[in-house]
Amino acid sequence: MDKLYIKETQYTPEIILDPKGYISIKGKSYPENSFEFYTPIIQWFENYFLTQTNQKTTVDMQIIYFNSSSSKVFFDLFDMFEEYNAITPIEINWIYDKENENVIEAGEDLKEDFPNLTIRFKPTTEDSYNG
Amino acid sequence: MDRYENKLIHKIEHLKEEFDETTQKLIKELKRQDKIMARSDKRQKQEYDELVRLKVELEETQKEIVFIVGTIGEYRTKELGNHVKRVASYSYLLAKYYGLSPKECELLKYASPMHDIGKVAIADSILNKPGKLTNQERAMMQTHTQIGYQLLKNSERKLLQVASIIAYQHHEKYDGTGYPQGLKQEKIHIYGRITALADVFDALGSDRVYKKAWDDEKIFELIKEERGKHFDPVLVDIFFEHLDEFLEIRDKYR
Repeated sequence: MDKLYIKETQYTPEIILDPKGYISIKGKSYPENSFEFYTPIIQWFENYFLTQTNQKTTVDMQIIYFNSSSSKVFFDLFDMFEEYNAITPIEINWIYDKENENVIEAGEDLKEDFPNLTIRFKPTTEDSYNG
Repeated sequence: MDRYENKLIHKIEHLKEEFDETTQKLIKELKRQDKIMARSDKRQKQEYDELVRLKVELEETQKEIVFIVGTIGEYRTKELGNHVKRVASYSYLLAKYYGLSPKECELLKYASPMHDIGKVAIADSILNKPGKLTNQERAMMQTHTQIGYQLLKNSERKLLQVASIIAYQHHEKYDGTGYPQGLKQEKIHIYGRITALADVFDALGSDRVYKKAWDDEKIFELIKEERGKHFDPVLVDIFFEHLDEFLEIRDKYR
């Protein structure tokens, strides 16, 4: 299957979906229609989990700013991770800026809802918070 | 018959299981939605509070800078004291009683300290000459209106646009004998007409390098005499109608 790369825009994050097992979602996420924006990404994952079984997968999530429909999408995405976790082990890095309280809380909400997933909290080292 | 019943029970039990599972999922989903909404409300509040804070910050910064820049002009002309503050407050009063909107009154008040900013480009020898200016010197001096206008006119900020009008037109006279454009009556923007009266009233009552402060009777006489000539008659009427308030400001910022 193909690698999917989506360039960052003012409203949407940079997305790297590498079938070799590396996923990165980085930036702001407040498109007018989050569901439309994330549909191809969800589709890619469906395909990935069906074809690339048994592959250790790393997910780096570095969200700076997000709207409520994006957080709904993140929950849906994590639902999928949880579903396939047993056959395709997933490690999620929740990368946050120490001053970005909202992002820390969002990560904690996910961790609370998905006790079976490995979610690691990692503070950013550089001063990249601009949300 | 027994077999048929059993099948139905089995089917219902299966449905019940599915129903329970779906119900559980729905409850989980609803809880999730509530949480997302609560978090979103919190963020929205933070963002709006921040927006309001930034708006105030921006407005206050503009006002302060405009005031400080206005004071620079005051230092140059050695009109120390509270000349710009008094002119600002007189302008506000005139605008209010003239019937401008509260927003415009505010703008005028905060922009008026810039009325003489063009004087920063005028030579000291002219600016602070104790005696009468020669024709050439007077012509130089008068360019402060255009210079102020040039400095401010390109800004898109409302406050600076108002300031540019004031800088340009505060030496125009109602009868068309002022400068730099020689505009007449309502061709002079109301901001220009207001600042003209506020500025002259204050200048006459203050010591300057070229003159002593006039006493009140003489000032009032001149303003009356210039009603419809130098000054907009409506503004002169407002001035005398609310004279006590103008004098109160003068006392406050003496």
